[in-house]
Amino acid sequence: MKQTQEKKLFTFGISTLALVIFPLAWFLSQAILFRELTEQVTRNVLVLIAIPLGSTLVFLLFLGMDRLIKLVPRDSREVLEARMFVGPSIFMIFLFLFYPAMRTIYLSFKDRYSNDFIGLENYKWAFTDAEMITTIRNQIVWLISVVLLTVFIGLIVAWLTDRLNKGESFFKSIVFMPMAISAVGATAIFKFIYEYRPPPLTQIGIINGIRVSRGEECYNNRIIDGVLEGYDDASCENAVGWLQQRDLSNLPIADSLESGGWFSNLLINLPINTMLLMIIMVWMYTGFAAVVFSAGIKAIPGEIMEAGQIDGASELRIFRSIVIPYIKSTVIVVSTYMVVTVLKAFDIIYVSTRGDLETNLLAVKMLDEFSKYRNFGRSSVVAVLIFVCVLPVIVGTALRERENSRS
Amino acid sequence: MRKSLLMTFLLLTLILGACGGASLEGEEVTITGALIGEDQEGFRANFESFTEETGIVVTYQGSDNFEQEIQIQMESGDTPDFALWPQPGAVVDAAQRGMLTSLEDLEIDIDAYKTNFSSYLVGLGTVDGSIYGGANAANLKSIVWYQPAEFEARGYAVPETWDAMIALADQIVADGMNPFCFGMYSNGASGWLATDWMEDIMLRTGNGTTSYDQWVTNELKFEDPIVKNAASLLSQIMHTENYVVGGTDAIVSTYFGNAQDPMFSKDANGNPGCFMHRQASFIPSFWPEAAQAGVGVETTVFPFPVIDESLPKAALGAGDMWGAFNDRDATKAVAEYMLSAEFHAAAAAMPNNARLSAHTGFDTSLYSKDINRILGTIIADALAADAFRFDASDLMPPEVGAGSFWKEMMNLAVEGPGYIDTALANIDTSWP
Repeated sequence: MKQTQEKKLFTFGISTLALVIFPLAWFLSQAILFRELTEQVTRNVLVLIAIPLGSTLVFLLFLGMDRLIKLVPRDSREVLEARMFVGPSIFMIFLFLFYPAMRTIYLSFKDRYSNDFIGLENYKWAFTDAEMITTIRNQIVWLISVVLLTVFIGLIVAWLTDRLNKGESFFKSIVFMPMAISAVGATAIFKFIYEYRPPPLTQIGIINGIRVSRGEECYNNRIIDGVLEGYDDASCENAVGWLQQRDLSNLPIADSLESGGWFSNLLINLPINTMLLMIIMVWMYTGFAAVVFSAGIKAIPGEIMEAGQIDGASELRIFRSIVIPYIKSTVIVVSTYMVVTVLKAFDIIYVSTRGDLETNLLAVKMLDEFSKYRNFGRSSVVAVLIFVCVLPVIVGTALRERENSRS
Repeated sequence: MRKSLLMTFLLLTLILGACGGASLEGEEVTITGALIGEDQEGFRANFESFTEETGIVVTYQGSDNFEQEIQIQMESGDTPDFALWPQPGAVVDAAQRGMLTSLEDLEIDIDAYKTNFSSYLVGLGTVDGSIYGGANAANLKSIVWYQPAEFEARGYAVPETWDAMIALADQIVADGMNPFCFGMYSNGASGWLATDWMEDIMLRTGNGTTSYDQWVTNELKFEDPIVKNAASLLSQIMHTENYVVGGTDAIVSTYFGNAQDPMFSKDANGNPGCFMHRQASFIPSFWPEAAQAGVGVETTVFPFPVIDESLPKAALGAGDMWGAFNDRDATKAVAEYMLSAEFHAAAAAMPNNARLSAHTGFDTSLYSKDINRILGTIIADALAADAFRFDASDLMPPEVGAGSFWKEMMNLAVEGPGYIDTALANIDTSWP
């Protein structure tokens, strides 16, 4: 009896030593060492030293912990070893993810320079300021439209390419190609598509180029026998600055909508610039969704499909009653990924309009409040908003994982 | 071999200079700043004759990362003798942290400094009554670009007053053309061109610089009749039919760097897309290459027209400023030289000089470039009348100056003159 108690005490002592005191000493000594090194050597040398030295020290950490744990009786060793491997990562996650998140929430209750507490003032701003409301509206529109469109078009592409006898991988790789372009590059491409120049100049954007050269006497500026033929004529269609249109009122379609009625009122307020920006993201991620869905469709057993066909089910019926149920979990995974990606969407807006004319999204707004207007409290509130939106997705994923591992 | 000889010679002169007692021969003075490339060469060359006369070796080192670097140097105490900041705000910031030596301690003749550079510029570098900033170069926004040949061919005269400009615009519209180029799209900063227009009009209406200065601090609200009047004058340009090529749609959609391109493009009848473009002195670097060659001759400027003739001729712009970190004798000598007319005259005459001097006491015809002669004269006149002012939106709190003011000007352009009251009320609400 006494012996087991002694053993327990000994195990406890060793585990504190191995899992708390030793890593702490290790961490502090390294922090001090590198702080000193930074002052001694130049940056390039530091990088050269840091990589081998850092990995050696990590190796020594685990070696030392392992040695200490070896002193414990065999039966309680396994638990400790598991903790030894998980411990440092949990510590790192706490230090670099959990702590900053908590601090951001804390700062969101303080004023612009994080000096005094101002209660819920920043949150009140977030839900009353006209610009913030527009930003939140855009974020919701983006979440719904981009996720739905990506999944929907991705499913269609996956299903159709699966039906092809030849060239399936060719078509799939073409649709997948935009994934290889960075968001900044993709946005730059689309900026050229939407490009606008003031009227007498040649339109270099493809959409405006086509618009102004329609009609009989209309040309996108060409010179024949020294005479310039252009589109500067009332009968020609005018060029449109696409990314600056927050509704349809500048487009010819507006004339046919003037009649009134709630539907045409709604339609005329369609934020065309936001929609054009969403197309960039849909274009980029459809290929990704299609490839993942295609793998899911491939995994459906051939017999079930054949059975459906023999029973005389139509293509649509097979798609709805066999394919969809089979790849349901894939659809959920892709949607989850897309929701998180849309919430983080930053580069498209940053490169194209930077939030001008009601196109802003939360991630860009967060940066603007921080670096442009120097208001740390408001910036933190926007960060918290993004965090709160991601939270249900994370919880949902965790719950599903648990269910999966149970069944 | 020759090098070592030269070194020995230099060493000898150094020793001799040091033995010379009060002489500053061989003393070194370092300046850092944000000027790089051609401007850096030009700034260095300014000190050649000075070094020959006094023996003080002045080294200037520019960096495109200057503002961060000088922060680090100030924290660590390893500062140069001078820093040349692109804007006066940084000088004030450094002075408030106790980093800089005041111009009084550098034994500068403050009265002469004020007469030469205007008390407004001097005031921008003043903290608690002590002057820390030395004005140097300036740039100009109160100008309208036009092509004299096109004006002459049609018998148009350069407008000197607002009413003359409106009459000319109406004439051009009646002749079937568009008078103005106006594009204010600018990724993340859209609207600043309209705020520049507002500032130029503000300087020329109401009580001129007095009401302008009150407006900057919000002592004069945006909803004040003076500001309202300025906004309606701007709206007159933006919203009168056929005034702006492409209409309001073009105003909000055209990138400011492309805005003047219609002026360089002729239609089937040989008419340019527009005749006048109000934009700052930096715009030629955005022009097509062919047009850049004709800057100052084919395409040149006239000053922004006078609106209220009882007010002095004002100019809107910006400028850089230096601060000194110590009061060594050599530092004093260099500071005095940088504020002297000789320094600025020499800088103006430099063949590749693109910078405009903020000194009013030298002959502006010395400028080597045609365009600089015109711009330099406008700046010097405005400074001499103490009617030179900095961009108001840069001086307002960022929520307004880089936020609501820009945004509401964009909205105003889209919505038309009926929106003026709402726009100005919204800006007032957003003032922190």
